[in-house]
Amino acid sequence: MIKELKSPLRVVLENYGRINPESIEEYITQDGYEAVRKVLREMRPKQVLSEIKTSGLQGRGGAAFPTGLKWEFTAKVKDIPKYIICNADEGEPGTFKDRAILEGDPHKIIEGMIIAGYAVGANYGYIYIRGEYLLSINRFNKALKQAREHRFLGEDVLGSGFNFQIEIHQGAGSYVCGEETALMESLEGKRGNPRFKPPFPSSSGLWGKPTIINNVETLANIAPIILKGADWFRTFGTKECPGTKVYTISGQVKETGLIEAPMGITLREIIIDHAQGMRDSKFKMAQVGGAVGAILGEDMLDVPLDYHSLREKGLVLGSGAILVMDETTCALDMLKCFLKFFKRESCGKCIPCRVGTKKLLELATAISQGKGKEDDIDLILYTAKVMQKTSLCALGQSLILPISTILKYFRKEITEHIKGRCPTGVCKI
Amino acid sequence: MNTVDLTINGKLVQAEKGSTIMEVALANGIKIPHLCYKKGLSIAGSCRVCMVKIKDRPGMEAACTTEVVEGMKVITSDEEIDDARKLIVELILSEHKHDCLVCESNGQCELQDLAYELGIEMTRFPISKTVESTEDSSQVILKDPNKCILCGRCVRACAEITVQRVLDFAARGSGTFLISGLNKPLADTDCVSCGACIQTCPTGALTEKLARFQGRSWEFRKVQTTCPYCGVGCQIELNIKNNRIVKVYGVEEGPENKGYLCVKGRFGLDYIHHKDRLTTPLIKHNGKFEEASWDEALNLVAIKFKELKDKYGSDALAGLSSAKCTNEENYLFQKFIRICFGTNNVDHCARLCHASTVAGLARAFGSGAMTNSIWDFEKADVILVTGSNTTENHPIIGSYFKHLASYNGTKLIVVDPRAIELTEYAEIWLRQKSGTDVAWINGLMNVIINEGLYDKEFLRNRTENFDEFRKVVSKYTPGKVEKITGIPEEKLIAAARMYGKADRGSIVFAMGITQHTTGTDNVLSLANLAMLCGNVGREGTGVNPLRGQNNVQGACDLGALPNVYSGYQKVSEPQVRENFETTWGVKLPPKEGLTVVEIIDAASKGEIKGLYIMGENPMLSDPNLNHVREGLENLDFLVVQDIFLTETAELADVVLPGVSFAEKEGTFTNTCRRIQLLHKAIPPIGKSREDWKIIMEIGKRMGYPMAYHSPREIMDEIASLTPIYGGVHFDRLGGQGLQWPCPSREHPGTPYLHKDKFTRGKGLFTPVDYIPPAELPDKEYPFLLSTGRVLYHFHTGSLSRRSKPLDSIAPEGFLEISPQDAEKLRIKNNDWVRVSSRRGKLKVKVKVTNRVDKGVVFMTFHFAESAANLLTNDALDPVAKIPEYKVSAVKIERI
Amino acid sequence: MKLRNKEKDVIALLRKSQSVSKHNYITEDELKFIAQEAGVSYSEVYGVATFYSLFSLKPRGEYVIRVCESGPCHLMGAKSIFKVLEKELKIKVGETTVDDKFTLEEVSCLGICNEAPAMMINEKVYGNLTPQKIREILRELRKKK
Repeated sequence: MIKELKSPLRVVLENYGRINPESIEEYITQDGYEAVRKVLREMRPKQVLSEIKTSGLQGRGGAAFPTGLKWEFTAKVKDIPKYIICNADEGEPGTFKDRAILEGDPHKIIEGMIIAGYAVGANYGYIYIRGEYLLSINRFNKALKQAREHRFLGEDVLGSGFNFQIEIHQGAGSYVCGEETALMESLEGKRGNPRFKPPFPSSSGLWGKPTIINNVETLANIAPIILKGADWFRTFGTKECPGTKVYTISGQVKETGLIEAPMGITLREIIIDHAQGMRDSKFKMAQVGGAVGAILGEDMLDVPLDYHSLREKGLVLGSGAILVMDETTCALDMLKCFLKFFKRESCGKCIPCRVGTKKLLELATAISQGKGKEDDIDLILYTAKVMQKTSLCALGQSLILPISTILKYFRKEITEHIKGRCPTGVCKI
Repeated sequence: MNTVDLTINGKLVQAEKGSTIMEVALANGIKIPHLCYKKGLSIAGSCRVCMVKIKDRPGMEAACTTEVVEGMKVITSDEEIDDARKLIVELILSEHKHDCLVCESNGQCELQDLAYELGIEMTRFPISKTVESTEDSSQVILKDPNKCILCGRCVRACAEITVQRVLDFAARGSGTFLISGLNKPLADTDCVSCGACIQTCPTGALTEKLARFQGRSWEFRKVQTTCPYCGVGCQIELNIKNNRIVKVYGVEEGPENKGYLCVKGRFGLDYIHHKDRLTTPLIKHNGKFEEASWDEALNLVAIKFKELKDKYGSDALAGLSSAKCTNEENYLFQKFIRICFGTNNVDHCARLCHASTVAGLARAFGSGAMTNSIWDFEKADVILVTGSNTTENHPIIGSYFKHLASYNGTKLIVVDPRAIELTEYAEIWLRQKSGTDVAWINGLMNVIINEGLYDKEFLRNRTENFDEFRKVVSKYTPGKVEKITGIPEEKLIAAARMYGKADRGSIVFAMGITQHTTGTDNVLSLANLAMLCGNVGREGTGVNPLRGQNNVQGACDLGALPNVYSGYQKVSEPQVRENFETTWGVKLPPKEGLTVVEIIDAASKGEIKGLYIMGENPMLSDPNLNHVREGLENLDFLVVQDIFLTETAELADVVLPGVSFAEKEGTFTNTCRRIQLLHKAIPPIGKSREDWKIIMEIGKRMGYPMAYHSPREIMDEIASLTPIYGGVHFDRLGGQGLQWPCPSREHPGTPYLHKDKFTRGKGLFTPVDYIPPAELPDKEYPFLLSTGRVLYHFHTGSLSRRSKPLDSIAPEGFLEISPQDAEKLRIKNNDWVRVSSRRGKLKVKVKVTNRVDKGVVFMTFHFAESAANLLTNDALDPVAKIPEYKVSAVKIERI
Repeated sequence: MKLRNKEKDVIALLRKSQSVSKHNYITEDELKFIAQEAGVSYSEVYGVATFYSLFSLKPRGEYVIRVCESGPCHLMGAKSIFKVLEKELKIKVGETTVDDKFTLEEVSCLGICNEAPAMMINEKVYGNLTPQKIREILRELRKKK
């Protein structure tokens, strides 16, 4: 069980740690599948779309696209069959919220997918779970079996005439398959290369058919919204970003784990009130949003952690992963770590990212060994900028964010390495 | 409105809806730098070099993936874009060893050009030190990973054009590399050496192995001409240095091949420079050839033929024209034979392959040629392919079928006794017993009629004799057909429904249908089937014979046949004959002449005394070779005009050295009636002469001087006498050539036939009953032998076996035999066996394979040392006189 | 069937094949079989198998040790975890022990970040690693037959 750090509000995690995830009966006692019942008995697809749109729910995977709008696009397309895909390829470093939901409350996702299918006219659902999440796969498998036995899945769900099936596909170790078009390629059994957009998945997705791809956490919000209403959902969080977010905290704090809070909680609140403060040394920086996320310095400790507020500051919330680093950390060493991640995970299709990620790591490594040149830092920055403008997908496009923000705060520290010295003593020069 | 208006760099252009910025720019002569985009291949969008800026859209977008919209304003270059491009190219240059020093692509490299345009002196990035070794296992393809930029064009070409799917990417990220097969050397994969990968590679990563160090890209003189191998008629670009053809590219604008070629066209033309090339005339003295001067040889030829004509009469002479020579040469040849020999005993090897097609379709439709065009197959929803191993014999078309089945949703119905490659792409494969074609075709029609799937309107308005025909077809129930052919009832019915329900159904066929004693009947049955479903006279439909030789269609068109002049105008018709007599200025023989096999027969009986053979090799191509040898050896005088001393030329009294296709001007007509130009690329080798000149010389010496200065003039004469070629003149043939009928100068040519009416008016149904083949297996000769071809060689191998790459890839022939039969005979792969028939015997190596059914064996006729035609049956189709190559009885013994 | 069979997922077939292999890899014969089953070319199967980091085409140890070296784990001491393992197993990252028991791999984030530094050995997850813990784990696994 992943430790929960005193969540102020539980919507997505309402059952987490409180029910046996392998028991559909326990899920049902917690109003489980009531939302499906309500949707199939009392609502028409258009009404479901309207409800989700009104709720203002945004994609919780990181892109933050309005979910209701995404569903509407696909609902409008006149082509069948349509597909619902749950993106459970959680690979963003520092993120383990989807794992928590899959291991702790798999039926919530099934419910969300059924409702999504009904709303857009899709009869097939796939959940793409990363291959390393074996417990999640195991539990989800059990949950599917139980759901079928209880006729929540299959033909004529609850006698409504609506058919819906869900199949599990396992990933095989590739971060880029979390990108929605690369995910579809992988689902089709191919190499996980992203596709160019347009066309968008809503009109041409899996096997060229209209497809919705939603994150685990997004789908986990569907049943609560249907049951309690869009208006209820809007009563917490911020105006632009209603609802809650599950944040995952790791790093040099006293307590690591996850926490669900209304959108807009600050970094300071999380570290002090929930993670019980720094473990050994003073706060230096935090990376929010995973490896593609921006570095936040002390000056950002009070920024509300929601999509909108962070975007205004040129930062991102992304997956909501928070990696907290203290003064013993070397900024260049962490930068190398991120660059190594991108190099390994680049799919290799487009030149800027395929070669760029390799060169960036080479440059940073040279600096960390005292072999760097003065211009190297600007070259790193410029290359990342060009990658942002030209890369095929968000992987290559996003490197600029951690690079530019780390340089914003710690350029001097990195320059010291060029002069032959690592201020924190981490890099062996 | 199907078009949009937009501006690119301020220039207003119009585009078709749905096209991309890249397509529109290129079509309007606006260059956008790119590396991974290639016209005709799917879009990758991976190099990111073609980024452009669009007004009111943030950032940059790739031109190759972005669709145009009305009013779009595109900028293809500014400081920011150019800087980004520079960085991307510098990234490429920092990886691998991009060394231009001795690279074959130096001077014609897209990466080089791009770096130069962008002004890149040095890459700003740390340079990778790894050097990979080249991979040269293939006979013809050289792979240098150090120059690979992973653009993926080769992967896409191999997957989408040739559909062999040999190449792909392995690993990921910066470790990505190109593999073939299971990361094996190219020679150990399914690579068919088509070279599409070389053609599409933008750098020197994939080049021609045999052209290595043979010339810098700027040293080549380039000449476009037409491929001499098969009936597809690919446009090729010969790259010549010091009058040697060093390498061959596909011409992108080639109407049939669109830049792609097969292994023979791309790598198999080195026979032109083989040391065996005949360079002087030869005269046989006491059984040995001695070099002679042209005058000596030509005079002897003229004198001897005149002697024989005077002594025995005109009909004691005959000529075999060449399906490999040009239209002009074929026209001159038949003119010569008819005038100077005074007989209609002129024929050529079409007799052996598609004579039944010409006879059958002429009877049913009024015209014996392929009704549609190669590229309109994409409009068909169902294509029925029978008796054609298309991927090996018409590779460009075969690949196209695979492409349509894989990517276009086209349904293939393949009917073939052998498990040829195309069966793997077939929606339905009907495996019939050899020679039972009339039965299964009638069976299909039986089902189509019973289930009401036929086109009633078409029948009523466009055809005649349906009722007679229907009576016969009603006997061929699926059950009865299964007994005759071995095709399970349900499969026959499924195929019938598939073809019958198709909106546009196309039929494609070749030797498996034509080379039977019932060849004409087979073709008539296919014509019946097409008419029944209204599948004639529209795009994506038709009855489409695939002609084998590069100019067999032309040789037929130009009258190298015993019963017609050029344009299929009958010799026996007085009006027609008079027309030719007037233009040619002589009286012409009215009696139809003998066909190829009949000529050999007559020679062996002593009725034909003198024979003039141009570019044909009956000693390997005709059936029952022992009989052929007898016939040729019995002649009083044999003249063979060829470029090599073939097995037939060995028997000649005089050998005249002609030239290859690269050494003359002229035209070829391909299988879909397209007349295309040759361009002379190199001077004749040694003292050899253009074939049309030789014919003129002999004619002059036999009393009929012809004074053509060029093939162009000959074609003008042809146009004046031949309605279907009426508008064909050299100045009209650049570009896409012309498809006949083309009756006048203004006429644009005809992509498909029988549009509103058949050439004969109404289509004729012919009731056809099944007749078994002439010789089936029995106790003494228990195996059924079928003969055919393979990808790497062409017909009698006189050209292809003299090509180093082709011969290295496929140096010997095999007898295909099923595992069950191999076991019974206790033979394994590569064992030698003796194969005998009632006509002859030979020794050959065995290949055990599931391709052939139990009781059936197959071999090619490419290899003189195991000449399959020693075994084949010279029984002929009564109408077309074509031999039954596809069925004869043999016995097999272990050696 | 050379036409792609949409019903057969290449990745699932690769995974199944590897899961029954004692040495955690996919053989060449298996690759050929999968290509036939799924109606794809040899090169495509190879390309897919080598794209995903969970698959291996070379024999590996009975136990594949995957140590995470992404942000949180790196921060919390993944480097020292590698050092311990390399010392205990006497191999470098990417190698297999001489007795074919263990293979050591470095991987990207495993999603166990709250218990960084973390690793997986085959299907089992181990978090909050210390040198002591690692030695105990190896001892237990060495005892298993």
